[in-house]
Amino acid sequence: MTRSGSPYLVAYVGLVTVFLLGPIVVAVILSFSSVSQLVFPPPGLSFEWYEVAWDNRKFVDGFVVSTIIATISSAMAGVAGTLAGISINNYRFFGRSAVQSLVIMPLIIPAVVIGLGLLQTLAPVGIRPGILAASLGHSIIGIPYVVYLVLAALSGYDIRLEHAAQSLGASRLRTFLDITFPAVRPGMIAGVAFAFLMSFDNVAMSIFLARGDPLPLRLMQHIQYYADPSVAAVSTMLVVISLVGLLLFGRMLRKRDVGNLA
Amino acid sequence: MAASATLAQGPSRPGVLSRWLFLQQQRFAWFLLIPALTILIPLFLFPLAVLLRNSFNWDEPGAIMVEDFIIDNYVRILTDGYYASLFGNSILVAVGVAVLTLIIGYPFAFFLVRWAGKRRNLLLWIIYTPLIVSVITRVFGWMIITADSGLINNFLQATGLTDRPVHILFEVSGMVIGMVHRYLPLMILPLANSIAKIDMRILLASTSLGAGTSATFARVVIPLSLPGIIAGLQLVIAVVLSDFVLPILLGTPRFRMLAPAIYDEAIANVRWANSATMAILMVAVVVLILLSMNLILRRAAPWAKSF
Repeated sequence: MTRSGSPYLVAYVGLVTVFLLGPIVVAVILSFSSVSQLVFPPPGLSFEWYEVAWDNRKFVDGFVVSTIIATISSAMAGVAGTLAGISINNYRFFGRSAVQSLVIMPLIIPAVVIGLGLLQTLAPVGIRPGILAASLGHSIIGIPYVVYLVLAALSGYDIRLEHAAQSLGASRLRTFLDITFPAVRPGMIAGVAFAFLMSFDNVAMSIFLARGDPLPLRLMQHIQYYADPSVAAVSTMLVVISLVGLLLFGRMLRKRDVGNLA
Repeated sequence: MAASATLAQGPSRPGVLSRWLFLQQQRFAWFLLIPALTILIPLFLFPLAVLLRNSFNWDEPGAIMVEDFIIDNYVRILTDGYYASLFGNSILVAVGVAVLTLIIGYPFAFFLVRWAGKRRNLLLWIIYTPLIVSVITRVFGWMIITADSGLINNFLQATGLTDRPVHILFEVSGMVIGMVHRYLPLMILPLANSIAKIDMRILLASTSLGAGTSATFARVVIPLSLPGIIAGLQLVIAVVLSDFVLPILLGTPRFRMLAPAIYDEAIANVRWANSATMAILMVAVVVLILLSMNLILRRAAPWAKSF
């Protein structure tokens, strides 16, 4: 393997990059269009579609509903996934491999199936599609990501630190708070962030478990009937919000980690 | 996963105290699992059981399903051409998209791991960005690019390659392009993982023993990255089969896919028993594909760990 293949490979990587980012860039540029037709490049630039999007109650309400669902479900997935990850990583117990398969399984079972199953389970007991049903459903698909990232954070973790703490007289709770939790925190934060994004963008479960009010469903209906740049305006704001969110999360991680070292 | 866990194996010496400690740890391990199990057992495992049970009921037209224990739904879905085409279409598209992402993603993953150097973080951001951007945004971008009056067709007509628009949007091709775009990152990450594990000295050994670049690639690099290839294919096949958004927004009703059809059956036609049967068969298809690929991996690369 010499470096002679490199120039072609570099060009190829450039092409794939254009493929990956192109549609996103196109959508962002079009959100500033001055006309309602989807022509690219836009004939003129304006903030018109941001005003239209802001005045659309459906989008604003959808944003609120999606934020509530994503907050509840990622918090549930965060607690459940973090503790399960610690248990799987730190202890050998009867049934461990079965538990390990169970927490990863929601990744393999199609979300449409989980959504339909929950609908047919919850509706007969009186839990109608809505914020509660959707939050419960979304928490399931968040758990595997949290577990996975917590396990990644714990790889190389030495359980003897806990034994040392306990033999020096620390209680189980103290040991957990001072030794275990700081080690898993980066994985937990990344996992919760990912679970939040997955919930916020979820369609396949929400179609069964929500009443059409989360933002992606609203945008989907809008795009099907009148595709205008207001969808692009909402999308662009979402991109900005998730980037800012990721930067904040990233900063939080680094500060805490530095704090731990000191 | 968690291969490097260094752990409390039970007591090293037999004794009352260490036995007590071991039991304590078992109890604590299960204590930590309580939140996950209280979510996953009633809200994930139980609904799957409910679907399985309901798949043996039957749907009374205009009413909710009737409790029974018959296999009529399975017989209908497995013999009726309409349902067979749903499964056929979805499996075909899933395998096609998986193979396309593998072909497109492999050189990218190789570059990312072996040659990117300082640009590596930038490339990782390029892969992660589509994952954090809403799928609706990406669909919107593809609509503008692939529409009859979109970027691709403008280019084709301006250069005189075609005189009438090539239909891409609202066709199978448009849907496949959108899926390759959506799931390419899911293929690249496991590929990069397994390529990173290959010891570069093996490649040097291969070339110094006289194998050319392409022979080294075909007979050393690709076999050694087989675990990543299989994991990527499994991941992409599973997510394409369950994709609901792209068939609806970029595809065509003339080429029906399974996930939207299950939704229509359950919500528009209110046929719960039949939709439950479709869902159970969908799970069976996914599990069958994943297991058979694990089997292939175990045959072809016995040293690798499958998931």
